[in-house]
Amino acid sequence: MHLKYESQLREPLVDGDKDYHQVTEDIVRPIEAKPTRLWYIGFYIAAALLLFGVYSVYREVTYGIGQWNLNKTVGWGWDITNFVWWVGIGHAGTLISAILLLFRQGWRTGVNRAAEAMTIFAVMCAGQFPIFHMGRVWMAFFVLPYPNTRGPLWVNFNSPLLWDVFAISTYFTVSLLFWYSGLLPDFATVRDRAFTKLRKRLYGIASFGWTGSTKHWQRHESLSLVLAGLSTPLVLSVHTIVSFDFATSVIPGWHTTIFPPYFVAGAVFSGFAMVQTLMIIVRKVFQMDDYITLGHIEAMNKVIVLTGSIVGVAYLTELFMGWYSQNKYEGYTFWYSRAYLFSPYGWSYWGMMACNVISPQIFWFRKMRRNLFVTFFMSIIVNIGMWFERFVIIVTSLYRDYLPSSWSVYYSPTIWEIGFYAGTFGLFFVCFFLFAKYFPVIAIAEIKYVLKTSGENYKSKVGHIEEQPLEAFVHEHAHHH
Amino acid sequence: MEQKKYWQSFGELNQSEAYNKDVKDEFREELPFEAEEGKSFLDAKAPRRDFLKYLGFSTAAAAVAASCEMPVKKAIPFANKPEDIVPGVANYYATTYVQDGDVVSILAKVRDGRPIKIEGNDLSPITQGATTARVQASVLDLYDTSRLRFPTIDGKEVTFEAVDKAAAASITGPVVVLTSTITSPSTKEIINQFLSKYPGSRHVTYDAVSYSAMIQANEATYGRKAIPSYHFENAKVIVSLGADFLGTWLGAAEFSKQYAAGKKLNEKNPEMSKHFHFESVASMTGSNADEKYLHRPSEAGAVAAALLSAVNGQGVAGISDARLKAGIEKAAKALNENKGAGLVVSGSNDVNEQIIVNAINEAIGAGGKTINWAATLNYRQGVDADFVQLVNDMNAGTVGTLLIYGANPAYSWFDAEKFKAGLKKVKTTISFNGKMDETSELCKIVAPDHHFLESWGDAEPKTGYYSLIQPTIYPLFKTRQWQDSLLKWSGASTDYLAYLKNYWSAKNGGESGWDKALQDGVINPAAAPAASGASFNGGAVPGAVSAVSAAKKGGKIELVLYEKVGIGAGQGASNPWLQELPDPVTRATWDNYVIVSPALARTLLNIDLNNGGQADAYEVNPPKKVVKITAGDKSIELPALIIPGTHPDTIGIAVGYGRSEKVGKAAANVGKNAFILAALSGSNVKFGNNDVTVTVTGDKYPVALTQTHSRYDTTQGNRTEVMKELTLAQYKHDPEEILNERKKELAPWGGLENFEKDGTIYPVFDKPGIKWGMSVDLNSCNGCGACVVACNAENNIPVVGKPEVLRGHEMHWLRIDRYYSGDMDNPNVVFQPMMCQHCDNAPCENVCPVAATNHSTEGLNQMTYNRCIGTRYCANNCPYKVRRFNWADYTGADSFPNNQEGEVNDVVINMSDDLTRMVLNPDVTVRSRGVIEKCSFCVQRLQEGKLAAKKESRPLEDKDVNVACAQACASGCITFGNVNNPESEISKIRKNNPNRSFYVLEQLHVLPNVSYLAKVRNSDEAVAAHGAEKKAEKHAEKEHA
Repeated sequence: MHLKYESQLREPLVDGDKDYHQVTEDIVRPIEAKPTRLWYIGFYIAAALLLFGVYSVYREVTYGIGQWNLNKTVGWGWDITNFVWWVGIGHAGTLISAILLLFRQGWRTGVNRAAEAMTIFAVMCAGQFPIFHMGRVWMAFFVLPYPNTRGPLWVNFNSPLLWDVFAISTYFTVSLLFWYSGLLPDFATVRDRAFTKLRKRLYGIASFGWTGSTKHWQRHESLSLVLAGLSTPLVLSVHTIVSFDFATSVIPGWHTTIFPPYFVAGAVFSGFAMVQTLMIIVRKVFQMDDYITLGHIEAMNKVIVLTGSIVGVAYLTELFMGWYSQNKYEGYTFWYSRAYLFSPYGWSYWGMMACNVISPQIFWFRKMRRNLFVTFFMSIIVNIGMWFERFVIIVTSLYRDYLPSSWSVYYSPTIWEIGFYAGTFGLFFVCFFLFAKYFPVIAIAEIKYVLKTSGENYKSKVGHIEEQPLEAFVHEHAHHH
Repeated sequence: MEQKKYWQSFGELNQSEAYNKDVKDEFREELPFEAEEGKSFLDAKAPRRDFLKYLGFSTAAAAVAASCEMPVKKAIPFANKPEDIVPGVANYYATTYVQDGDVVSILAKVRDGRPIKIEGNDLSPITQGATTARVQASVLDLYDTSRLRFPTIDGKEVTFEAVDKAAAASITGPVVVLTSTITSPSTKEIINQFLSKYPGSRHVTYDAVSYSAMIQANEATYGRKAIPSYHFENAKVIVSLGADFLGTWLGAAEFSKQYAAGKKLNEKNPEMSKHFHFESVASMTGSNADEKYLHRPSEAGAVAAALLSAVNGQGVAGISDARLKAGIEKAAKALNENKGAGLVVSGSNDVNEQIIVNAINEAIGAGGKTINWAATLNYRQGVDADFVQLVNDMNAGTVGTLLIYGANPAYSWFDAEKFKAGLKKVKTTISFNGKMDETSELCKIVAPDHHFLESWGDAEPKTGYYSLIQPTIYPLFKTRQWQDSLLKWSGASTDYLAYLKNYWSAKNGGESGWDKALQDGVINPAAAPAASGASFNGGAVPGAVSAVSAAKKGGKIELVLYEKVGIGAGQGASNPWLQELPDPVTRATWDNYVIVSPALARTLLNIDLNNGGQADAYEVNPPKKVVKITAGDKSIELPALIIPGTHPDTIGIAVGYGRSEKVGKAAANVGKNAFILAALSGSNVKFGNNDVTVTVTGDKYPVALTQTHSRYDTTQGNRTEVMKELTLAQYKHDPEEILNERKKELAPWGGLENFEKDGTIYPVFDKPGIKWGMSVDLNSCNGCGACVVACNAENNIPVVGKPEVLRGHEMHWLRIDRYYSGDMDNPNVVFQPMMCQHCDNAPCENVCPVAATNHSTEGLNQMTYNRCIGTRYCANNCPYKVRRFNWADYTGADSFPNNQEGEVNDVVINMSDDLTRMVLNPDVTVRSRGVIEKCSFCVQRLQEGKLAAKKESRPLEDKDVNVACAQACASGCITFGNVNNPESEISKIRKNNPNRSFYVLEQLHVLPNVSYLAKVRNSDEAVAAHGAEKKAEKHAEKEHA
């Protein structure tokens, strides 16, 4: 009996007539083989970027935020832009795992593991910015509310930055737990196949002694559901709270009630784009075409065109309100500082519009949705566009706010500001390369689950198995261990 | 029937050992620790003791590895406590700021033996407690690391004994004592005594920017070789022909005070003085004018002559520009309607023009009313012809010895090369200047003088009014007062202190009179002498008129040289506070540049400020186009700044820059010396040139501006919530215009009365006790910047240097915003001091994650530096952008070692030198890198004031507290106090000025505690900005209907 209704019109979720063993073989192969030359090249580039980032941060911590080009008017620039950008990217993973799990979307199983890993790494990258944008990062622990020896001094619960601390750390914790709990059975699989003592020991520790007993599965399933339930509101809350950093302020361009839904949609938008970027690489490099199918790509492209259009509507709404409110300060921010192409930062607004609103419309066409090259290109474009969006929101609102006397000189980053950003790319890809090498990039256990509904191999053989005597079956399958 | 067997795994089917174990363990509830045959946890492999061992070892290792040496700083207590010094309690000594003829009576605040702040002396009837930016900054000069620390002969360190010996051996007649203007009567006596020893000797006074034309004109028309006192406070009509009398012209502190009196507006009886200004390059005083007219510098004489002719009822002739002509007629009419209450002043150094100005003043009856010949002004006494003669004599070899004090002609004389050549021909050259300036380095003997804060002395700024100088600190270096040197060299046995004491004891009631005078700092005439005119001899007037009428027409472009408020003729160049003080008009720091008009910018620079894109590009990019100015055979290259309010065919360059790096790190490589472009015209130096060529070089040079945008009307509406200005006519017509504007704005949220409560969904709190508030009168603020420097000194505000200002990193807690409105070619200018508004509903406070900025019960928005982690969210969320972040280790207060080198420039590093740091106010924390800071309403002074009141068991009164900016302001435009006390000045101002009071960005409901009084201009031209707003409103209403 199947839990799910299977439409005859749907394409199978896993291609290539796999059986269980093949699935395990395919997914664990990269872990057990020596890394390719490509892997090494990628890893070293990422590590070099990370080192440059570490040096950039070292300079900033030692010499001060003056290493960046921020000024009296533009107090946040690339730092918080990058923070919001990475947090946004960190949305797709949990959305895919949690919300799609609750909605019983079978196709998630092909991409959820990597997407969740991406989430974890993206949130790790994001976290660097609010920490190191502090002038006195060595006092960062002041933001933690704990009973302390500093008298009645406590954190300020009114501050959106404090909400950020809670939101991001909660999100990170839950995402990490969710990801890791999903990894347990797969680690056990890798452990069971281990060919060295060390591997057996390390994967043994990592799998927490998973034996595949009923109780384990039962607990695992309950935990997944509970965590999915917990994550679902978090997906919405994190970016809502990030948007409060701006929405609760008084600065024209920030002080906007539309921000929470607009930010969440934007986050899903950029998150899915990043998943596309990574998945297309993974499926190519690890030959996972059978698991990450064109169906997956297309499904995600649909999400991209939907969320891209939502943010497009949000942009237009902002512009409309900038005029309709007849507030001259908002009017100036939206209609001059942003939408006027020839204003100093007009290019960034129109860059955002072109990348986020106009170009994703290409995905209304099925052919384009299923074109790997177009998808890969668009996934990059969307993430550039989403970076512009955060830059537009932060810099164009700040650089010309209320008092014309304080309008800023042109803000552009220093090499160390860029270096910090590059460093987080380094961190992200170092983590991702290690993940791809040592972790099963596709959820083995979960993909086997959808195999039953979608695996042609299963369906063709299931009749045969049911009729087989026990001894014959055991004989046939014994070598599979 | 056989029981059917179901199984789930092979293990279950085969009942394997592992399977059975799993089943056995699957539902265990106990902790697994005790599983090992009853062994307790403590017997485990890594017991608690091991853990503690490892912990101890790793902590110790980390501590050893991380330990570093902390510098030991010793505080040594007094072995015998000096009588007057109580640690932590400031002493105030009355003394006098003197520099090159400028005299301001001051009080020096001395903490633990160190003067740290200058405040005005209220007992002086001349300045009445007023100060200027340069007076405020002078305390930093005391601790200047580039001051000379010992006397030298031929550049080698010697003792004063050696100097005396060398002087005795080498001084030969004829001797010339070359000084800047000396206002000290005792010093003059000493000079004369000294000179009498050497027959044929003389004293030559040299002023870098001279007023010799005025002196000569007065000699020609009044028979007095002097400058009279002016009384702007008595003038209902003030006409300035290019005189920057609020900034740099003669006694700016005194005149600002007087001028402000005419600008204070009584709401019930709104009358103001009217100020017409005729000039060529936008100046600070011109920016304050009620009506300003532009002319070419070559037309200055014609304008004066036309004004004279118009005042005499003969109409205006020889002026082709219609607006200018109308302006002259208007000014003449106003002067004639206010006979005896008008005053015309001119900044020209042309004798004929000054003679005409005297004739106008005579015609309007200014003598004895606004011009007082009973007490002459002594600020400037130099006559250019005397110095020209001296240079010629030097070159002719007829000067035996040249003693130089104060003067620095090797820098500031237009023909410095000739002076230097002459100097070489003088046998003995001795400089008493405190620094190795351009002139001193050419002198054989350098016997540096004390800083005035280390000196004894006297000054007579105005005849009959004296101000005494007393030391406030033991001399820091091996320096000696130059009067002592002169006394010694003239063979006197007394030192200068004894001489001075005798001098004043004899004149002023003996020892006790001297003591009292020292304590007061000033000696005033028993009764102020009645103001009087002088008998006018108009004989020279027709000649002067025909001379100016025949003046050569100017070339295509003309040049004006001007002084800046902070830098002056170069005296302020080595003072980092003054270099970083934005120029009131251009808002530029750390440079001089060429001022060009928007019209000239269009043709010359291809920048049209009316074109949004070009204006943006010009504003947001600090590098400005460099132009080359050629005047005769001299030329300099400087960046061009576009400054509205400048005549289209005129450019302006500030003097005082391009100093030798030996006068200080702050002066090194800053700007270029524009004195070289001056020239002799007749017998006087003309600070300008009527025919220069300007070419664009194609280079760009970054100029550090602190304000890039200057208009408050934008493409999306006029930001009248930021700035409110109107004309007196408008105000009289509808006094409640501003009040109604505010009422209308706030009507949806409870109106003015209930806005605080109805504008929010949060509860409103009572504010009992003290509530601090400030009011700033935009009418009397003239933008001079004295408050900014006072704030620097009081609050230890770091200097950041040009590279940092370029990046928008300046740290000033108080800035003066300058806005233009109306026509871009000749706009209205308004200055707006802007500091933390101490909002009651402060947007900065609720966004700080760690509550580092919070609200006091007295309404102060407080900054807790050691709680601040530097997220800068507060700065972003401040609508007034008054919060400042420590981007780098500007103060050397950081715990990270060696992180200034290469990151901040030499000037900034020099500010954390042990010597310079002596200027720091010990009551105010020096902020470290990474924290936000901002105006605190001088909270240290408030605490002191509250304590004073508490000790006397009485409620706090106005006299107990004053903030540094309000105290420094010559115009009295800042009022500070407790708004909950109905008797306080601040309460009265708010109560008595309901029609002009407004809060900046009031509609945001941030509830600021700083109120402003709107600018009212005494002009009948409608302020364009407001006019436009009204039109738009009417339009909207029509549409609505």
